[in-house]
Amino acid sequence: MNELRELARKLLADGEVRVIIGWESARRGARPMFVTEPDGADGLIFDTRCVHNLVTYLNPRRDHVAELGKIGLVIKGCDAKAVAGLLREAQLTRDDVVLIGVCCGGVLEENELPEAVALTPENVAPRCHGCDNREPTLVDHLLGEPQPEPPRPAVTIEERVAALDAQPLEERWAFWTEQFGKCVRCYACRQVCPLCVCERCVAEKTQPQWIESSPHARGNLSWNITRALHLAGRCVDCGECERFCPVGIPLTLVNRKLQEIVAERFDYKVSEDPENQAPIGGYRLDDEQEFIK
Amino acid sequence: MSRIGVFVCHCGENIARTVDTEAVAEAIKDHPGVAFATDYKYMCSDPGQTMVKEAIAEHGLTGVVIAACSPHMHEKTFRRACAQAGLNQYMCEMANIREHCSWIHEDRADATAKAIDIARTIVEKVKHNKPLESIRIPVTKRALVIGGGIAGIQAALDIADGGHQVVLIEKEASIGGHMSQLSETFPTLDCSQCILTPRMVEAYQHPNITLHTWSEVEKVDGYIGNFEVTIRKKARSVNEDLCNGCGDCQAACPAKRIPSEFEAGLGKRTAIYVPFPQAVPNIPALDRQNCTLFKGRRKGLAKDACGKCKEACLKGAIDYDTEDTFIKEDVGAIVVATGFQLYNIGREQPEGLKGYGEYGYGEVPDVIDGLQFERLASASGPTAGAILRPSDGKEPKTVVFVHCVGSRDPEKGMKYCSKICCMYNAKHAMLYKHKVHDGRAVAFYMDIRAAGKGYDEFSRRAIEEDQAEYIRGRVSKIYRDGDKVKVWGYDTLSQEQVVIDADMVVLATAIRPQPGVEQLAQTLSISYDENGFINEAHPKLRPVETNTAGVFVAGACQAPRDIPDSVAMASAAGAKVMSLFSADELGREPAVAVVNENTCIGCMNCANVCAYGAIEQREICTVDGQVCGHVAYVNPGVCQGCGTCQALCLSKSVELQTFTDEQVYSEINALCFWE
Amino acid sequence: MSDPTETQSAQNAGAAAGDFEPRITAFVCNWCTYTGADLAGTSRINMASNVRIIRLPCTGRIDPLFIIKSFERGADGVIVSGCHPADCHYTSGNYHARRRFAVFHDLMEFIGVDPRRMTFSWVSASEGAKWRDVVDEAVTNVRELGPFDAYRALAPEDESAAAAASAAAGAAARCAAPASSGAAEPDAS
Repeated sequence: MNELRELARKLLADGEVRVIIGWESARRGARPMFVTEPDGADGLIFDTRCVHNLVTYLNPRRDHVAELGKIGLVIKGCDAKAVAGLLREAQLTRDDVVLIGVCCGGVLEENELPEAVALTPENVAPRCHGCDNREPTLVDHLLGEPQPEPPRPAVTIEERVAALDAQPLEERWAFWTEQFGKCVRCYACRQVCPLCVCERCVAEKTQPQWIESSPHARGNLSWNITRALHLAGRCVDCGECERFCPVGIPLTLVNRKLQEIVAERFDYKVSEDPENQAPIGGYRLDDEQEFIK
Repeated sequence: MSRIGVFVCHCGENIARTVDTEAVAEAIKDHPGVAFATDYKYMCSDPGQTMVKEAIAEHGLTGVVIAACSPHMHEKTFRRACAQAGLNQYMCEMANIREHCSWIHEDRADATAKAIDIARTIVEKVKHNKPLESIRIPVTKRALVIGGGIAGIQAALDIADGGHQVVLIEKEASIGGHMSQLSETFPTLDCSQCILTPRMVEAYQHPNITLHTWSEVEKVDGYIGNFEVTIRKKARSVNEDLCNGCGDCQAACPAKRIPSEFEAGLGKRTAIYVPFPQAVPNIPALDRQNCTLFKGRRKGLAKDACGKCKEACLKGAIDYDTEDTFIKEDVGAIVVATGFQLYNIGREQPEGLKGYGEYGYGEVPDVIDGLQFERLASASGPTAGAILRPSDGKEPKTVVFVHCVGSRDPEKGMKYCSKICCMYNAKHAMLYKHKVHDGRAVAFYMDIRAAGKGYDEFSRRAIEEDQAEYIRGRVSKIYRDGDKVKVWGYDTLSQEQVVIDADMVVLATAIRPQPGVEQLAQTLSISYDENGFINEAHPKLRPVETNTAGVFVAGACQAPRDIPDSVAMASAAGAKVMSLFSADELGREPAVAVVNENTCIGCMNCANVCAYGAIEQREICTVDGQVCGHVAYVNPGVCQGCGTCQALCLSKSVELQTFTDEQVYSEINALCFWE
Repeated sequence: MSDPTETQSAQNAGAAAGDFEPRITAFVCNWCTYTGADLAGTSRINMASNVRIIRLPCTGRIDPLFIIKSFERGADGVIVSGCHPADCHYTSGNYHARRRFAVFHDLMEFIGVDPRRMTFSWVSASEGAKWRDVVDEAVTNVRELGPFDAYRALAPEDESAAAAASAAAGAAARCAAPASSGAAEPDAS
């Protein structure tokens, strides 16, 4: 952490950045921190409570953040993939941001603790299992020591997705319509997702209104299916959408299913390489078409 | 408020027999937004169309739906009628109740209910139609022809004779292409140069043709009607305006042993050279790679190692210090006619291709390819037209011709048939026999493909009149054995192995596109197939167009092709260019995509999927000129109207006119199965 | 309002009464399938009358939102059809559609929608008979699956009540089946 604070202090003092966005410790866990003065860097931390994907602050539509000036952003591996996504979609110029990578070994599922604790199979965020990117490379600086693999939770997300896949159609329909039925259309999932950066979301389009806006089951299903489709080949699995959902919809299950679909059909994994073109928007002559008559 | 007129056609019995057209008109009459509905026997007839026009006037119609046959049949007809009545043609649509209803169902109740649904769907769509205007883009009436072979020359002449300016560029020092290397051409055996050179001169002298030889395309910007082409005129070292073609420089050049490309390696040339005596323009170029002076300069010599050509030139036309220059030309259409090369089946191969070492090409000097044989047979060739073999200059008494070398071969080589080899092999057998009366010509073939006019008769002549021996079978091995070239083959008809002690072997190697064609295609944004041949827009109906509007293709660069077909294709491309140039402005259907710059965030995913490169990034500025973002922009001159960009756009910030989201939504909604 | 967890088999039992005619919306590309359907007409090839075609320029234009909206509006099944790979009039629209709908198909199956409700096909301008096969097969499949009441059941209460009222009032003129009262109306309680 001292490494991080020193670097942040230096970057601010040299004027290389105008604001460092990282995490600080608070009574109810870690939370995002905006440091504009070199002395403020002392508050920066990085520990297992730092679940937030701070790349959401790079959204070009966040004018009030852009007004602060050039950003130095602290990012974990999954976060770095989100930066690559923004680069891929021309929402960010690489030179406009300083990326401070931190080696990560996983984060907590329940992160609202006054102090950090070590990860165990019981308390680790399930989405961290199997992470292939614990040391981000799309960075200007990489801090910390390489971390061991996060512990395996009792039930992994893959296992839960597989369990759903094994159920008969009707049970899956019942499960998902119940889950999406809870949705209150607060759009917190959209607000926090680092790749949801549209000026006017399709859910807000009224001419015509493809997606009904009131929170009833039919429109909710349309919204959640659309959100899922927009993630194909783009979602970086940071899990923030699920963490923010006030009614507890298991969005990471949908996200993981989409990843499995693009991996299986297009041999594609979201990565930190901005040149790695997204699968939707490209094609191969020999793409699978077993579902087409 | 919409005032839509619905006209339900009986189409004689075709619709009325199955669909109760009166009931359809009756049902649709009360649909919200419909101001008038009727049915009639033949809507496309004169009285039918008059009925539409009168209704537009009488009822103040803002839209028209013709419930009748398929729009593919009569959309243009009814749009024209509406336009004549003063209603924008794009406010008229057809509801297909014939091909998609009355002709495929039998139950009257079913069919009538379906016809009502179909009509209702299109009425709902038309409520959201907009009175669009054709997109007009200006057209620069100059054409660029890339490649100065027979196809390029023909296209240039046709366009120039049609009254338009042409820029013809050729990468070699002279135009003429491979046809200038041939001795005689099938199926008439007339002299190739004799029929080609008048055309070459005509192209050179034509007032409407600007010829740039020793030049290549560097860059192409723009779109149909409005291309900006940058041409690289390579440094020739000879001033084209001063040179009078006297040839003294070539006589003076000390570097006389450079393998001549024109002689297909069988002859030599000097460093400063014209490719062949009948070259057009008859202006030499200096090959700086092989020139003694330039080799010295590259080594860093203080003093130039030679200068003989400059000394010899009485016109002072030679200048060693010229550099490549760039010329910008504005053109409205481009014709690609870059021709072909032969498959090199020796040991040295370009990447991805395998050689035919078993045939000894490149190792046994008496194993040659078709173009080399042409040079032997040519009166102006390295042997003055005598058939003499390369190794010892003796007249070969037995010549074996091998078909399909590198063609029709999925294992290594090309999968496709090279089309012209059966014909030129027959020709070569005949030319050989005409010159070596006691010679023996043997041809190993798989099939005889002689499909053109007079072609089969021609290939029969080789066998019947000139006693060429045709053996159906493949050759497995060719190698030098003492003085002879041994050819091991198989005769499938008699089922016997055959060994020929030949004096010379001619391999009919595969036709491939010119090297560098992939880069050119990328420069032009046109597509090519896995063999490097340029893709036509549609294999049957659009053979001389590419998928990039305004870029046409002619000749062997699109597929193996002989001279008559190359000339025909070049004239076809010329006709397409002339049609493009026939008006000052190009009118295009307004079915193009339009970006909503307020909601677009410039992610440019749309640009990635556009097959036509119609989408570019555009900066948007504040009122005082500060760049505050970027958005996508669709060029209405290039967009072909597929709508893939819209389906891909996450925020639906691009709308394809004539198939907008509003229109499609209203059609889906019209089929609402709940009230 | 129907229980959204009503199983497919229960719905099938209702459909097995034999008077259910599925409503199918087809999104087809102008150059291949629409023209192929025209050819089926010109050739007088008879087929089921349950399908309503919506014309698009290319399968590349077809959005999953169209399909979702169709199901919301009461369609029991959908068809998406276009040019064979390599034949797209616009070069590559169908390749993009292929990827898009591969993901959509897998996702919908994950959500619990029976994939037999969605038919995807390549039908060229010369394949009038194939279009008939696609239509008849889609109709047969969806008829077996029964009305897509599970989707309709998601509607808000006031809307489904209104639908039930108008259905009962005999606004079933749009239905192809003869007017027997519980026939083609959506299951509404």
